Amino acid sequence: MATPEDVLARAEALRNSLPSGFRDEVVQSLYAEAERIARRAVKTAADRKYDLDQRIDRLVTAPVSGLLIMLLLLTVVIWTTVSGANVFSEMLATVLFGFGDWARALFVSWGVPWWITGFIWDGVYLCLAWVVSVMFPPMAIFFPAFTLLEDLGYLPRVAFNLDWLFRKAGAHGKQSLTMMMGFGCNAAGVVATRVIDSPREQLIAILTNNFVPCNGRFPTLIMLATIFVAAGFSGVTASFIAAGAVVGVVLIGVAFTFFMSWLLSRTVLRGEASAFTLELPPYRRPNVLRILYTSLIDRTIFVLWRAMLTAAPAGAVIWLLANIPFGNTSLAIAIAGWLDGFGRIFGLDGVILLAYIIAIPANEIVVPTMMMMYTGASMMVEGPGSSEAIRALLVEQHGWSLLTAVNLMLFSLLHNPCGTTILTIYKETRSYKWAAMSVMITLGTAFLVTFITASLARLISHLI
Amino acid sequence: MIVWFVLVLGCIIGVVLPRIGLLAFYRTWRATRERELVEDALKYLLNREYQGRHATPESLSGALALPRARSMRLIEKMEAQGLLETRGAELHLTPEGERWALHVVRAHRLWERYLADEARMPLARVHDEAQRREHTLTAAQLDELEAAMGYPRRDPHGDPIPNREGSLSDVAGTPLTAWPLDTPGRIVHLEDEPAIAYEQILAVGLRLGQMVRVLERTPERLVLSDGEHEYRLAPAVAVNVTLAPLTEEEAARNHTIPLSDVPLHQTAEIVALDDALQGFTRRRLLDLGLTPGAVVYPELQNMFADPRAYRVRGTLIALRRDQADRIWVRPHRSN
Repeated sequence: MATPEDVLARAEALRNSLPSGFRDEVVQSLYAEAERIARRAVKTAADRKYDLDQRIDRLVTAPVSGLLIMLLLLTVVIWTTVSGANVFSEMLATVLFGFGDWARALFVSWGVPWWITGFIWDGVYLCLAWVVSVMFPPMAIFFPAFTLLEDLGYLPRVAFNLDWLFRKAGAHGKQSLTMMMGFGCNAAGVVATRVIDSPREQLIAILTNNFVPCNGRFPTLIMLATIFVAAGFSGVTASFIAAGAVVGVVLIGVAFTFFMSWLLSRTVLRGEASAFTLELPPYRRPNVLRILYTSLIDRTIFVLWRAMLTAAPAGAVIWLLANIPFGNTSLAIAIAGWLDGFGRIFGLDGVILLAYIIAIPANEIVVPTMMMMYTGASMMVEGPGSSEAIRALLVEQHGWSLLTAVNLMLFSLLHNPCGTTILTIYKETRSYKWAAMSVMITLGTAFLVTFITASLARLISHLI
Repeated sequence: MIVWFVLVLGCIIGVVLPRIGLLAFYRTWRATRERELVEDALKYLLNREYQGRHATPESLSGALALPRARSMRLIEKMEAQGLLETRGAELHLTPEGERWALHVVRAHRLWERYLADEARMPLARVHDEAQRREHTLTAAQLDELEAAMGYPRRDPHGDPIPNREGSLSDVAGTPLTAWPLDTPGRIVHLEDEPAIAYEQILAVGLRLGQMVRVLERTPERLVLSDGEHEYRLAPAVAVNVTLAPLTEEEAARNHTIPLSDVPLHQTAEIVALDDALQGFTRRRLLDLGLTPGAVVYPELQNMFADPRAYRVRGTLIALRRDQADRIWVRPHRSN
């Protein structure tokens, strides 16, 4: 009767007598056996589909047509998302906010104390409703469209086309896909990095995903570009300038993604395991049911649920800060006042910093929180209706300048991931270290860049 | 006033606090630095003993770049710990010292293997990084690392990795300078020290496992060929390259070209994956079906011809050039 120790000792001794290439032989024999079975069981006829696949492949990977097709598809997906989501979002907001008003009125008629009503309906519920109505529609459009391309088998070809760029940054071509997913939602982008099978490149993709602005940040960027950057222009010129500014910001984000990937692969991540392979699956007829299931259940609902989990407590905190009196203002205004000096160093102000701190669960509620503090309201508000009114409020009453707007755009692009994304990074990497690292890298970059632009602006105004 | 008091008190506590204070950090750092010095010294002594020469206090202080007085203190301390003994001017390792030295060598070579295979770090940088990491793992952690990598026997330069008991098999081979002319041989070892010579070897393009023959040998230079390229080395550098005779299987591997050189739309058969391709990458390629004997067909290329996509066993797999360079194939005559 051999004891486990005997078996281990024997295995140890036998291992040393194995030839060095025995692992290759194991795999080789497995494949030989599989081939033998396949030859007996599988009949191959002349394959028409194979020819078609090859023809499509040549078209989508050729220098000119490949690039054009890629840009066209990406534009269509993003344009559909942005324009479609607006309508859907307003409908959802009407329903959800309407229900909130009705419930609040009910509470008031029951004689519930104002602070309970306020906490529940103006704090927690309002924040939840806001996050859902702003986040859900773009995701419900973007993810099915993206999943359709994935199901067709097109996306790996994009990775194949763009790999040369990512190789230079020490990253994997598939990172282009996780970045595109990041346009929908960074948390979903982080989950999507599972397709990168090489640990180091996957970590790079996770840690840099946040430099791609998500759906939640686009409205902020568009608003700032329209109201401030394109302010001096009119009509068509103004919309071109605004669009150009948003595209410029996105490109800056992409540039930072590459720079940070390059830096990470040569510093903290250089000891992580790495290998490049990319499978290009055959093209398939898309399966609509599967697309709807994976995009709506696996991606949209999954992300939305996590966002709601973090939004509820944030709603509570925001309401409390706005309603706890401090001297003759609220606690929120007081804290914003303390942060103001620090914020000015970066061309921002105290309200913006505080909004980013308490609206950490979702970028969607940053602007409503800011507006709450600027207008002195006791709950999150959308702010004045017209862009002239918003401009007047911010510039005349709160001392904003073009620098504030530009730096807020940069800060919005580069700052730390939202709570949902941080949570997702932790879940994907199972490590506090990487979650903390993702925050430090982005926040450090955001402060550094805004500090530089603010200093430059000050220097220029000083010289002039 | 009270604020300043609290601030100063806080600073003092921050400095002297056991385990997490600054002072404690400094002490740990000093102790680590001291241990690293001892381990470097042990490794140096072991290396000298393998070369059959004996170390002296002078050579030790030269090798570790320490001032004379500092290295004398180090030697005294190591003697007190029972790691070495002085006989006249010579330094000898005690059995205890040798055991520890082998542990460090084992750590160094396992790390080199890991960095080269799993992290795909360029070979020229592997040594320095391993030099830093060799002091960080315990024996049990090393066993885990070794098991995770599938018990490698040699480091990326061809040096044997000592096993857990510390036994070390020797590299059998002949230095390039003594290898007979026009006889095929396989590179089994590339000495990584001195670094200048090693970088030259890598720069001309020689690598472990490569099959070469010596075409010409003069006192000024050596000319090698692998059947495709010619390599020129100074004899002082060539002495750091060790060759061994080919096995039968290896002889069959001759007349192959890298997969990256197969033109588009021409089939080829995989003969072998290069020895330099190890660890994670090798496993991945084998798993995808790129095994010896498999037929590959370069089907697509990206606009910069890197990566290219190869049809293998019915699936289309994209590989970068640096990987396809390491897969040896025999092109089929015609399609």
